[in-house]
Formats: sequence, structure tokens, C-alpha cells
Amino acid sequence: MARSADRYDRRAFLARGASTAAALGLAGAGVPLLLEGCATSSTPAATGGSTPGVSRAKPRRGGSITVGVNSEIDGFLPNASHFDNSGLTYANTVFDSLTRIAADGTPRPYLARAVTPNADMTVWTIALRPGVTFHDGSPLDAAVLVANFQSLRDSPLTGQAVKPVSGVAAVGDMAVQVTCDEPLVAFPHYLATQIGYPIALSQLSSSDSTHPVGTGPFVYQSWEPNDHFAVTRNPNYWRKGLPYLDAITYKPIAEDQSRESSLRSGTVDLMLTRDPNAIKDLRDNPSFQQIADLDQTHGQTDMDFIILNTAVSPTNDLMVRQALAHALHAEEIVRIFGAGVTSENLSLFPPGSPYRPADNGYPAYDLAKAKQLVAQAAPNHGGSLNITLETITDPRLLEIIQAIGNMWGLAGFHVTIGQVEEVTFIDNLITSKFVAYTDEMFAASDPDLNYVWLSPTTATPPIALNFARNKDPLLEAALQQGRTHSDPAVRAAAYQAVDKRLSEDLPYLWFSRATWSVTASDVVQNFNNMTLPDGVLDQGFASGVFTPTTAWRSA
Amino acid sequence: MLRYVFTRLVQLVIITFLISVFAFLMVHLLPGDPTLAILGPNDTPAARAELLKQLGLNKPLLSQYVTWIKNVLHGNLGASFLTKQTVTNALSVALPIDLELIVVSQVVAILVAVPLALVAALRPNRLFDRVATTSTFGMLSLPTFVAGPLLVLVFAVELHWVPATGFNRLSQGLGPNLQSVILPSIALAIGSIAVYYRLLRADLIATLQEDFVTMARAKGLSTRYIMLRHVLRPSSFSLLAGAGISIGTLFTGAFVVEVLFQLPGIGFQLVQAIYSRDYLVVQGMALVAAVAFVVINFGVDFLLTLLDPRVRRA
Repeated sequence: MARSADRYDRRAFLARGASTAAALGLAGAGVPLLLEGCATSSTPAATGGSTPGVSRAKPRRGGSITVGVNSEIDGFLPNASHFDNSGLTYANTVFDSLTRIAADGTPRPYLARAVTPNADMTVWTIALRPGVTFHDGSPLDAAVLVANFQSLRDSPLTGQAVKPVSGVAAVGDMAVQVTCDEPLVAFPHYLATQIGYPIALSQLSSSDSTHPVGTGPFVYQSWEPNDHFAVTRNPNYWRKGLPYLDAITYKPIAEDQSRESSLRSGTVDLMLTRDPNAIKDLRDNPSFQQIADLDQTHGQTDMDFIILNTAVSPTNDLMVRQALAHALHAEEIVRIFGAGVTSENLSLFPPGSPYRPADNGYPAYDLAKAKQLVAQAAPNHGGSLNITLETITDPRLLEIIQAIGNMWGLAGFHVTIGQVEEVTFIDNLITSKFVAYTDEMFAASDPDLNYVWLSPTTATPPIALNFARNKDPLLEAALQQGRTHSDPAVRAAAYQAVDKRLSEDLPYLWFSRATWSVTASDVVQNFNNMTLPDGVLDQGFASGVFTPTTAWRSA
Repeated sequence: MLRYVFTRLVQLVIITFLISVFAFLMVHLLPGDPTLAILGPNDTPAARAELLKQLGLNKPLLSQYVTWIKNVLHGNLGASFLTKQTVTNALSVALPIDLELIVVSQVVAILVAVPLALVAALRPNRLFDRVATTSTFGMLSLPTFVAGPLLVLVFAVELHWVPATGFNRLSQGLGPNLQSVILPSIALAIGSIAVYYRLLRADLIATLQEDFVTMARAKGLSTRYIMLRHVLRPSSFSLLAGAGISIGTLFTGAFVVEVLFQLPGIGFQLVQAIYSRDYLVVQGMALVAAVAFVVINFGVDFLLTLLDPRVRRA
């Protein structure tokens, strides 16, 4: 439930940015021991022509579409630019990732032919697919991949995500060996995120963030920030026969209402949104096809929540955090502001996830209990509990925190409501200059991708990615358990423990899952039906990221 | 006349110089280390080195200003730290949008306001005047963030006559270009219509009380002729002055309309840059917008002197 705007916004930094830990999509219950590009039968989940985004008709070649995205990006350099959902959509257009997440939640080889670990998962070998060339004609080989990895490790932006990586070396012309300090079982998932998009040496050496040179299905044509990003078909694409469209123009339209009007008027053919009202408006309209990530049960979607700073008074007091949790009527917030699209979710993980415990112990709404806790805690804080609850400059978020402020007020808190400009918001988060902020993050195909946001090892001032400064050794132990063990049962137990620890420590007060949708007019076909090279169905649209490779235009 | 123009030109140069100083100091007024304040979470050694090089912060202030203004005069306003796009390039995208928005919106406003005021002033406080005055009062109360979506709903979503968002350049054809600017221009013109109507109506009513108008009527000249040839010109000073200010403020004040219609004009890009703490873009855009405001108002003053000799004698 956050603002959809801006080329460099809170979401860009928080959800995808500093570590690119927030990978997208679906994670399997277990971690594959071996990822091979072996051929299996094609098993598309959707078979009926009426399934939104899936077409069984013969694809029509040519034509172009215009896509309305919710934000502008700050560049096309995976080691330096902040890829939010629009950035990852652009990346899927001009780049390809080494792996992609399949519909069953498992990571599958994509630009990589295979990604294989050693016995203890401290060494991963990435075998590259032969015959892949960048848009400038140069080949994708081991030397290019090593250079890409080195730049990722050297970058302050992506360095955190590849921190466990201690060495990268070419093994022959077409394979790269990545050595880690510790077992990194989710490594293939990382390769499906921002750090998994190799770019050509020409772009890497010039650090040119404005002209992407990738291997993707479409080739850069022009980019005018805040106006459009135009691409044309890659005639030498390594996936023979793809893509179908001749051209795509992306238009960043920050205002949800304007984006919706653009779709309705035919100004754009397809749009992304996470505004529940827009999703609801378009959901039942037969003129449009809509896909939402509501039913996603693999991995994690973004969560909407309040983040509490556990390093400053009064939220450094567990009793205060408990009182705030008991006083926050999440169901009511979702009812008022969710437009019937989203639902209450009081866990880091979505319902159906193997990492979600049957009962995580998260405090239920209980105003009487909250009042009682406030009465107990207040004497330790000068007699009254003052909370400053803030958000970015977004009218909808302001309404939400006003409602939450009222709920906390009923429990006996003195709540000050405020809004801060987005860049200041980010600065305050990483430098611990806040008490309670709204937040939206944690989308990941594997829970380990959220390690940097949750781990006590990243809670050290002055700049910390564990914004809540929650330093719980039991939480760290559980995170490490999940990070280093490949047994699905062990991992499930570890992340269930993580969820329980978070419910105990309460650095985050959950209220709902952020719901994303892609909506298209009926001329856009097959925009959510990509089959991966090994024959399995791709996860498709998730967490606001669209992949245009198999889309075609019917007229 | 020449002396008046020369005096105004000297004032223009001084004001422009002061604006440039203020725009230059904008970066230096940031609290703490300006490189840290600008870069924020993007603060890396490479980015800081690049920024220091661009700003020349290790040199004396005067030297920095001279270097900066030289660059500005050569068309180099720096580059965005986020998108690496040069400010000059961003302006080359933004300026045509703003100029066209301003021209079209003001043409619409004048075409509506002037005839309305002429008719209303002929019979003040009668039915037409009351309806027109009430309507324009309503227009004045209609914010652009309400008018814009309403226009989009009717003309883009329902009728499909025009696109809901975006800007088509003239190079894409006059038709598509006008289609893309007409709705935002109308949204902008609504406020101007109300202001222009009220200013002109009041002046027209005052002018109609003048002896020379009575004389013209006594000579048997038609009302239309009197209004257009004798009354309109001496009544248009307030309108012109108001238009000058209105046009100048539209360079940055069209922000809401630009956001609603996704037009990356100066106001839109300026606010985006402020949100992103992209201060070199803010600096460059603010400088251009302020200079444009001053130059436009100078132009309006000059027009006033042509229309009214009393101005240049004052």
C-alpha cells in the first residue's frame, strides 16, 4: 500500500535496491541440488483460452504495444541502478537472467545451461548456454560473467547480496565457478534477481547506465526518463522464434488513476498497478484481462507493515511494541483500505507457504490488553508513551497512518502523525532516525534473499540495512540454519522459527500482503505464458514484474 | 522609449545575475557536506569523486561560481546523478512541452475570456453578466486535479477522442500533437479564463464610462466597432500584466497537470528531482524557469509600453 512513483523511491531502494535481496516470485519448498537444462515435457498450468494472459491461438508476429508502468528507473546498470518492479520489467525486456523462477517455485536455468553446487554448497558452477550474444554482437562467455560478478562484488549497492561470495573464476570458456564462505543454498535464486543479469563488456566498462546492452528479447532504442523507454525486437535472440512483437514502448505513469485512464482510453495496452482500487475497478471488466499475484503461495510477496525502531525509545521497549501490536486492528485497516482486493496477513509468509507456522504467536487485536500494557510501560517512559508514526508523502498512506494513529490513541498512546519526503525517508531508515514508519518489502522467491534485511549482522550503525535494528541471536541462528541447509524440512523449520521470533520481538507490525496486478486490453495476447528452455512453465507475473518475451498482439 | 527599454534591460540583467547566484548557492546551502546530502544512500567513492569534479567544491566559492556560470553560458548545466541524463537534454524534452502547453492554454483562455468579457461588460449585472461571472467564479474554484480527471474521463476514456496521458511531439504530426496537448491545456486554461475574464470585464466597464466612448457612440459608430477598436485596447493592461505573471508561473506551476497527464515538463521534472535529491537538475531547471519568468514579464512590460505611453513616461 505504498506510493507508486518516482525513479528513485523508497520501494526502489528498500524492496530491490541495496542488496537486491528481494528477489521476485515463487520459491519452492525445497532447494534443488542440481539445476540442469534438461528437457522435460511442457506442462503449462493454464490450458484454456479464457485464462488471462494465456493464448493457445497461433501467435501473430509484428506490431507493438505500449505498457504503462508505475515508476521510472534510475538506469540500466545492474551493479549500480535501483531496480524496482519497473526496473526488473525493463531488465526482462533488454537483459536475461541466469536463472528464472518456474511456476512450481524452483529456480531454473535460463541464460545458464546449468547451475550446480558441490557437496556442501559452498562452490557453485554456472555453465553458460552456448551461442548467446549480446546486442552489440559480443558473445556471452565465462570472461564476461566473471567481469560482471566482480563489478557486483565491488559495488556498494549489490555487494551486500554477494557478500558470502569469496571468489569467482572462469572454468574454461563457458563456465564460471563461484566460491562462497559458507553454504549458500539459495544461490540459484539470487541469479534470478538483479545480480543475475549479465551485461556486455562494452556497457560494463563504460559504466553507462543509460544504454543497456544485454542479451534480452528486445534491443534498446531510446530512453527519455519520465517520458518513455522504447525497444525493438532482437532479431538475433537466442530463443529462436521469440519474441513476437516488433516493438514495445514503456511509459512511466506515476499516478494510478492516470495509468488506469490510459488503459481504458487505449493510450496504453497493458498496465501494472498495486493500487487496490485500480485492481478492483479493472478486475471484473470483460474488456480487460487481469492477473494478480493474490494466490501466490510459493516464496513471498511484498508485505505492508509498520516498522518499529527497536533502538530508540519508547519502541526499544518490548512491552511498548506488544501494546502497539495488540492495538493495531489489521483486519479493519485492510477492510477500509484494501478495496476488497487484499486480505489481512499477520506473518512474514503468505498462507500456504511451508515456512509459515500453523501459529506464529503474533499478537491478536486486543484493545484491553493493549491498554493494560500501556499502563504498565508508561511509568518507564516518563509517564506517557509518545509515538511518532510517519510515512512518505502519499495521501493514501497518510489516511492509513491516521487510522492506525487513532487505534493506538485508543490504547493510550500519544501519537504524532507525519509525512517525510522519500529520500529523507530512506536516509532515516538506514541511519535509525525514526520511531515508526510504514513500509513495504520482503518480496522474495526464497526466504534467504531477505537475510540482509533481517539479520542482526546488518543492524550495525551508522548505516544499517536491518532498519529495525532488531538484534535477536535466536533469529540469526534460524536465518543461518535456513541459509546453509538444503534439507527442505530443516529449512521449513528454520523459517518457521524466524516467523515466530519476529512475532516475539515485534520489529514489524504486519497488516496485509501488497497485491500487484497486470491488466491488459484484449489485443494483447499470451503475456503470461512463457515456457522456459527446459520445457517448464515460468512463474509469470509476480510482485509487479512483467516479462514481455512471449506476448503478441492480435490486431 | 529607448531609455525605458534600456533601463528595463539593465534590470533584467541584474535580476538574472541574482537568480544565477541563488541557483548556484542552492547546493552550498545544503546542511553538512553537500556531496553527502546530494548522494545520500548513493554515496560511493566513485560517485563522490564525480560529484566533486562536477561541482569543483575544492575551489574558492567565487572561482566555483565563475566556472559554473561559464558552463551554463555554454549550455552545460550538469547532469543528473541518478539517470546520468544531462540537464540540457532534460530541458530539451521539457521545454517544448511547457511552451506548447502555455501557448495552447493561453490561446484557449484568451479565446474564451475576451468575448465573454466584451459581452458581459456591455450590460453589467444583467443576466449574461451574472451567468458569466458566476460560471467563471466556479471555474476559479475548480482545481486542476479535479478538472483534469473529469476531462480525461469524458474525452479520453468515454469518447476516445484524445489520449489520456503522454505527449506526442510535433514531429509525430500536428494532429497527434494537438490531441495530446488539448486536454491538459484546457485544464490549465480553466483557471486563466476566470482570471482574465474578471480583469478584462472590470477594465472594460471602467473604460466604457470614459468620454471618448460617449463621443464614439454619439458619432454613430457601431457597438462592435467601438468595443473592438476603442475600448478593448485601453482595457487590456491588467489583462496583459495578469497574463505575464500567469504565463511565467505556468513554467513550473503546471506541475499538477503534468503529473496527471504524464507530461515531463519542467515542473514535473523539477519536483521529481527534488524528491530524488538530484540537486544539479534542480539547480539547472530552477535557473531556466526563473529566467524564463523574468524574460516573459520583461516582454509583457515592453508590450504594455507599446500599448500605453503612460507606462514609459512613469
